[in-house]
Amino acid sequence: MILVGVKIMPRKEVLDSQGRATMKTLGHHEIALNDCRVGKYVELKFDKETKEEALSKSKEIAELILFNPLVETFELEVKEL
Amino acid sequence: MIGVVRFLGTNCDQDIWKAVESSGKTPSWLWYQDQFNYKDYESIIIPGGFSYGDYVRTGALAAKTPVMDSVREAAKYGVPIMGICNGFQILCESGLLPGVLVKNNNLRFIDKWVELKGENSCESWGGKMQSCNLPIAHGEGCFFTHEEELKQIEDQQQVWLRYKENPNGSLNDIAGVMNKEKNVAGLMPHPERALFDWMGGSDGAKFF
Amino acid sequence: MVQNSFKADPKYLKTYRISEDEYQMICKLLGREPEGLEWALFSALWSEHCSYKSSKVHLRKFYSKNDIVVDAEGENAGVIHLGQGEQVSFKMESHNHPSFISPHQGAATGVGGILRDIFTMGARPIALGNYLCFGEPKADRMSLIVDGVVRGIADYGNCVGVPMITGQTNFHSSYNGNVLVNAFALGYFGKEDQVYSSKAHGTGNYVVYVGAKTGKDGVHGASMASESFDEDSEDKKPTVQIGDPFYEKLLIEGCLEVMKLDLVEAIQDMGAAGLTSSSFEMSDGGGVGLHLHLDKVPARDSDITPEEILLSESQERMLLICKPENFAKISEVFDKWDLDAAVIGEVVDEKEITLFWKGEKQLKIDPSVLVENAPRYNRSYDEIPSKSVQDLKILDSDLKDGLNKIYSHIEGGSKNWIYQQYDQRVGARTAKDCSSSIGVVSLPETGRALSVVLGCRPYVMRMHPGLGGADAVIYPSLELAVKGFKSLAVTDCLNFGNPEKPELMSEFVAAVESMSEACKAIDAPVISGNVSLYNETLEKNVTSTPSTGIVGIKDDIQNIPSDKFQQNGDVAFVLRLPQVKTEGCYKEICGEQPKYSGELNNKELSEFVTGLKEIVLKNIITTSKVSGNFGLAFTLSKMCMSGMGLKVDNQEVFSSQGLFGESLYEVVLCVSKNQKEGFLQLASELKSKLNQLEIYELGTTGGSNLEINSQSVPVDHLFKEYNQSWEKNFEVLA
Repeated sequence: MILVGVKIMPRKEVLDSQGRATMKTLGHHEIALNDCRVGKYVELKFDKETKEEALSKSKEIAELILFNPLVETFELEVKEL
Repeated sequence: MIGVVRFLGTNCDQDIWKAVESSGKTPSWLWYQDQFNYKDYESIIIPGGFSYGDYVRTGALAAKTPVMDSVREAAKYGVPIMGICNGFQILCESGLLPGVLVKNNNLRFIDKWVELKGENSCESWGGKMQSCNLPIAHGEGCFFTHEEELKQIEDQQQVWLRYKENPNGSLNDIAGVMNKEKNVAGLMPHPERALFDWMGGSDGAKFF
Repeated sequence: MVQNSFKADPKYLKTYRISEDEYQMICKLLGREPEGLEWALFSALWSEHCSYKSSKVHLRKFYSKNDIVVDAEGENAGVIHLGQGEQVSFKMESHNHPSFISPHQGAATGVGGILRDIFTMGARPIALGNYLCFGEPKADRMSLIVDGVVRGIADYGNCVGVPMITGQTNFHSSYNGNVLVNAFALGYFGKEDQVYSSKAHGTGNYVVYVGAKTGKDGVHGASMASESFDEDSEDKKPTVQIGDPFYEKLLIEGCLEVMKLDLVEAIQDMGAAGLTSSSFEMSDGGGVGLHLHLDKVPARDSDITPEEILLSESQERMLLICKPENFAKISEVFDKWDLDAAVIGEVVDEKEITLFWKGEKQLKIDPSVLVENAPRYNRSYDEIPSKSVQDLKILDSDLKDGLNKIYSHIEGGSKNWIYQQYDQRVGARTAKDCSSSIGVVSLPETGRALSVVLGCRPYVMRMHPGLGGADAVIYPSLELAVKGFKSLAVTDCLNFGNPEKPELMSEFVAAVESMSEACKAIDAPVISGNVSLYNETLEKNVTSTPSTGIVGIKDDIQNIPSDKFQQNGDVAFVLRLPQVKTEGCYKEICGEQPKYSGELNNKELSEFVTGLKEIVLKNIITTSKVSGNFGLAFTLSKMCMSGMGLKVDNQEVFSSQGLFGESLYEVVLCVSKNQKEGFLQLASELKSKLNQLEIYELGTTGGSNLEINSQSVPVDHLFKEYNQSWEKNFEVLA
């Protein structure tokens, strides 16, 4: 079994309002950060595919549904279970 | 017949049905799992709500359902299509309208009446419009796109409506947008909630 | 006191929250000590939240029936006829304890729960309301709680697609350790729609589980809600339920569809105490037995135990009874809406519930032992004497200073920040939203106007619970009357402290009795309700708060007087029935306890309510408002928020109460100049029936100032103060 993790983050050029709000709230608790960005992590489990097949399918899935290229980027990481 | 699309989680479907009926036309349901023949419909409306609970990204899952394949075809053949609120988000995710709607800049849901300016007229939906008052109710209504596309939208007269006072951070105060051919239009405000004076205003009636 | 012949392990009693006395009662009923799953059943069904053991004996006193009430004895929510074939069902419920622990989820699931109580009757939910009591803005965790609660209500209500049309928010230090979150919902039955029952019937009928899968969340939620907070409150987190409004939306559509197709014999939602309460109540109510196979319940976790399944409060689940031949179609409908529908049992003749796990019998018990034999306590209480005094000391003040002080206090400022987060117009029926004194929707089939308003002013409760109880009914009915609405029926949510303390039980009884008398006087029966007790933290109890929801009707949705001045040159009047005078809520925000003088006369108040409604229905009133907290000057200033001022030239109206004292009750009514004589005629006709009625002409609307006799404040200034109040009090949330 192959587990592929899809990390979806807001594009650097786009205002990450969730990240900014998180920083502001931490500021109220006297915690100062250089930056904070909020994204999403999606796990895809493949039964019969090889590592390469799983990665290739995950890229398709990400492009089909998981991320919006206008405002997000994605990265894949793979694990053999 | 006016096709009214429904997804799991669409909330404003009955409201659109009533609005179409009150304009003297005949509405008909378009279920998300089924494709349809665009020739059977004089126009199509995608109502607001929380399709798929806004899971993954608002409008993302709805955009990939079978009914949207037919909507895409209908758009290609010039059938007038209007997306309201979540409907607008779904049209953007489907690639039928430029841009994307992201979270309001104050990160909260906003419900209030807003004043809108008619920028370029949309013959299919409402025609010439100076200004109007419509209610908004959304958590992700901030219109965004990259600089080049924004310039293109402006230059090609695709901006349909603008907020007089921007409530959510939308670029260029854009409240509604059209495709280049001007048959597909999307807006964040809800015209179906402003049909009669007792609703708080009747500027929405001209959209139907 | 039952004989102590059985000995229980104190650990068991603590885990299952059963008292020593209750344990003896259980042993006597069973003829032996409880075993296995029986502990879980008693824990859930004998909890205060499910059994109403401390309150039932007094709730019977409520005026609860007249011609418009549909007989729905023991059902989830009351139903009333509206005439012309239309009916509505409505109820209010509390989710106080979970909202304090996990504000977002607690409040969200409160909305989910009340919605299920409505659509389980077969009604489509068309309106929501919320009644909130928070602590002081600077109290520990309070910003977090306010933010979480509002977000929770908004996230749930907005996604499920039911409009929030009215609400009330109060702030007081007594809620610092225990907030109140009461959710109201109203559902509609058209001419063709049937009212559904939860009474199981028909031997051989299937017991069907529909909705979300069952998980381990919320186990022991009902018994937790029946307890006070102490130092270990953080540990209560796993008992808070997790809700998903998208699921609820699908459940509403699926359930209403199978009900419309007439495929359902009985239906009940799984709320407090989940599968346990729903199955036991359905069985006991129908006088039948059930065989339930707990292993057939769709479960999220493969290692869930039978006890966890019984006690789970996983949200968005319903239990229904159907004829075997209808199951296939039911399954098809729920499949369309992407929900699970599983047969988990059947109805049997003998009146006992048998629980099975993988074919093995776990337990067999007569449901009435748990439902009908739950303890009924008649906790001790005393009558609370009147606290009316003769010498009221009105704190008077300069108009501008006084108004500034009120507006800068969280109670006086705009609550815009809250209700702009709610979708108030989904459904396209909303005529008046949360920014109005009453919420109004148009009825789907006839287009008549239906309104909802919430009641109970904690400051009045603090003066005397009997006065506060009556006020919780009279004040909202006046708010309806000045807009032309007839009050039809009432729901309530009785939020009180520890009933084992006689002084608090006394407040409960005083409030319930005076509420019932007021309901009877205006002929608006209490058709549903909820009780939330043990609202106290570290022995400090909340203000006793019996919140109410009143529904009213009016034929014409077009002519509803505004809350704020609309027309230049209108003449403003005050109609006052001064049965009680109070030193005013203003005195409370100045740090002193206000006193009151007089007593209410329900018969006269009922005349006043009806008389005002009749005057408004003549369609000459342009603007109207009931003068409430902080008195007449403040009410007039709120009416100027449209941008139009008022010039008052009348000393007498303020002579007995100053600018900031209050009369129970008085209302402001405006008419256009040419209708002045007509209005005065109507007012004097009312005075002939109520000779205590006082009529004052205040002055004319217009200009950009609120001028009261020799003092003047610019309307712009008032607007600014009103709208900046929230961010001054809650900087973090702004």
